[in-house]
This record gives sequence, structure tokens and C-alpha cells, in this order.
Amino acid sequence: MSANLPVHDDELQAYADNQLGSARAEDVAAALAREPLLAARVAEIRRQNAALRDAFDPWLAEALPRKLLWAATGRSLRGRWRWQPWAALAASVVLGVGVGWFGRGEMLQLAGMPVTFPRQAALTHVLYASDANRPVEVWAAEEQRLVSWLSKRLGYSLHAPDLNTVGFALVGGRLVAGNEKPGALFMYENADRQRISLLVRKDGSPSRETAFRYAFEDGVGVFYWIDDVCGYALSGRIDRGQLLAIARVVYGQLAAAEAAAK
Amino acid sequence: MPETLPHPDLVAALPRLRRYARVLTGDLHRADDLVQDTLARAWEKRRLWQAGSDLRAWLFTIMHNVHVNQYSMRQREFAQASLDADEGPAAGWEIPVRATQSDRVELAEVLAQVGRLPVEQREVLILAAVEELRYEEIAEVLGVPIGTVMSRLSRARDKLRRMNAETPSPLKVVR
Repeated sequence: MSANLPVHDDELQAYADNQLGSARAEDVAAALAREPLLAARVAEIRRQNAALRDAFDPWLAEALPRKLLWAATGRSLRGRWRWQPWAALAASVVLGVGVGWFGRGEMLQLAGMPVTFPRQAALTHVLYASDANRPVEVWAAEEQRLVSWLSKRLGYSLHAPDLNTVGFALVGGRLVAGNEKPGALFMYENADRQRISLLVRKDGSPSRETAFRYAFEDGVGVFYWIDDVCGYALSGRIDRGQLLAIARVVYGQLAAAEAAAK
Repeated sequence: MPETLPHPDLVAALPRLRRYARVLTGDLHRADDLVQDTLARAWEKRRLWQAGSDLRAWLFTIMHNVHVNQYSMRQREFAQASLDADEGPAAGWEIPVRATQSDRVELAEVLAQVGRLPVEQREVLILAAVEELRYEEIAEVLGVPIGTVMSRLSRARDKLRRMNAETPSPLKVVR
């Protein structure tokens, strides 16, 4: 398309929503630079989007009714229909590694959201690290895509630490539900198939608190700290000393990445 | 063809499903019934879900269809009510978190304004601006052409802008 073509209303809207193809987006950006009225309309749409998210996102943090958690498992309390194989699933929870996803749902329910950050980290770790087939949404083979996607969703430039020096290779990552905002989870695995995970969440306001804190939740050790606007939690069923050593490596790499970015 | 659905992802999608249901019905109790019916339908149709595809968009599609099929009468009532009533939908639109006083006023105003939009504009606006689905995905969720998505979205935004211009509250400084 030519840069001289007038910008259509739909294109303006798509541009404001970050949905316009990159070639045409450049044309539109050039047009915006020339015409303040167009630029103002894009700014207005983006302001509106931000206001809408601010207004509707708090709904995500509300405690879920138990009947919905049950319905998500394929069961209905109304008994209108029933999915039989859930029994096999329940058995797998009993036999499985610690607290399965079902336990998590129940616990979130009993605790009532929000839960504390280390607790959320431990629950998230148990939930996904025990998943043999699909522990992550995007695998490490696509690390670039993974990091940029998660960065976009969190609104913060993320960095996946390289833990090969301490024997853990990146498996991949996923977006996880948080109390109010989504978090990013990076999963690592060592030669013994032990998994650790790093949960990153973006906080609203900067904090100077950088001390490592330790929590032990449901059999999972968690070192967590807050650095600037992000909270980090490293979780795993490994020795506390080993976990702390890895946490220090993670912290060092993130600090270096941040310094390099400035 | 999956025999089962990814439970963790399903549970993780619940808050968003519930939010969309509230946007559709305008009422928390009806919303929870709609989520429950949607989940039941999803489990019935679990073999139609393609593993690896976006579960959230698939669930929104089911929810939309369940809502249209089962709640069409109520939907018409609600759409009607939201057109003539000043206050929009009553229950289910309150702000659940402890926001600061001035935040509360602004957020409540945004919710009220969205509540005054007809349901077909409301749903497009939420899917695009809040859920950040791509227009093609929205068209698929709603079963309408993409041009319809764009025009509804544009009308919704114009309406909000006009409401905003009429409101003396300091909405413009939300971010």
C-alpha cells in the first residue's frame, strides 16, 4: 500500500489497537506525525482502552464460586449431566505429586483471593511443574517469541535468566493468572528432571525492598524478592541452600540485564 | 482429538469467562449460570477443541452461542433496558476492589457508561479493548463478518466518547 493513500477509519482503529500489519502501520505512523488530528484520535482510543482495562480488570481478582470451579472440572453440582472420567482424574490427584490443579482451585477458593505472592508462586509451581506434557505454553526453542510475548502481556521488558551454569535448562514459559494482573512463569529443568520455576509479576509502584525472603508452602520452597516494580519468586522442591544459590544467580542476571538496558 | 480439556488452562480462564458473562448479562447471578452452562457445553464438545489452539477464544465462542440460544429473551430485555435507562444494568457492575476514593468515581463512571451501550457494542468493545482479542478472533466468537466487528467497535467508542464529553467528571486523567 502506498504511503499517500488516505488513512481509513478502520485502519486508525486497528493501529490504535496494535492490530495493523507492520507495513501499513508505518504509513499510518507517518500520517499521524503529519496530522495532529489523527494522532489525537489514536491517543483518545488508547486512553479509552486503558480506562476500560482499569475499570474491568479488578473483576478478575474476585473469588470464584465453588460451583464454577467444579464445573471447570467437567462436573456439575446441578447434576444435569456428568462427565464420568473425572473419577480417574481425582485418583490422579490423590496419587499425583502433592497438590494438583484441583487442590489449587479449592485452596484458592478457601483462602479467598488474593493469596500471598509466595503462596501463589508455590501453587503455580506445583500446578505446572507436575504437568508432564504441557508445563509451558511456549517452549524454550522459541525463547525470543516467549520473552517478547510475556513482556507485552506484563507491560514490562522481561528477561529469561540463563541457569545452565547451575545445571538448569529453560523449558519454556507461560502466562499465569495472578491476583489482579497476570504473571509470567519461566520453567527450568535439570538432568534429574527436577523442575524449578521463576514467577514474575509486575507491581504498581516501585519498591526499594530487595531482601530475599524464604517461604515453605505445601512442600515447595520459595525464595522471593521485590526489585523496583517487579516481584520475583523462585520455587522448587529442592534443597533450600541450592535454591538460594540459584536465586542469587537469577538476581544477579536480572540486575545485569537491567543495568544494560539503562 | 483430545479426550479431555487442559484443566489448569480452563481454571485459569475462569475469571475472564466470568467477566465476559457479566458483560453479556449485566448481572452476577445470571453470569455465573452462563459460565456454568458454557463449561458444561465445553466439556460436551471437548472433542471439537483443537489442542494447542486458543482455549480462551474457543470458550468465548461457546459462551456467546449459549447466551444467544438460551438467553436471547433476557438479552433483548437487557439491551432494551440499557438503551432507555439512565443507570444501565444494576447488579453486578459494582467495583469489587478497594480503590481510592477518586479512582472509584472514575472506574464506576466507566462501568456505568459501558453498561449504557447496547449489548452487541458492549461485547465487541470488551473483547477488543479489554481482552485484546484480534478482530478476526472476535468475528469468529460472535459469528459475524469482520467489517461488522469494526463498525460496532467504532460506534461503541464514539458513544463512549460522547458520554465522556457530557460528563463533568475527570475521566480524561485515568492514565
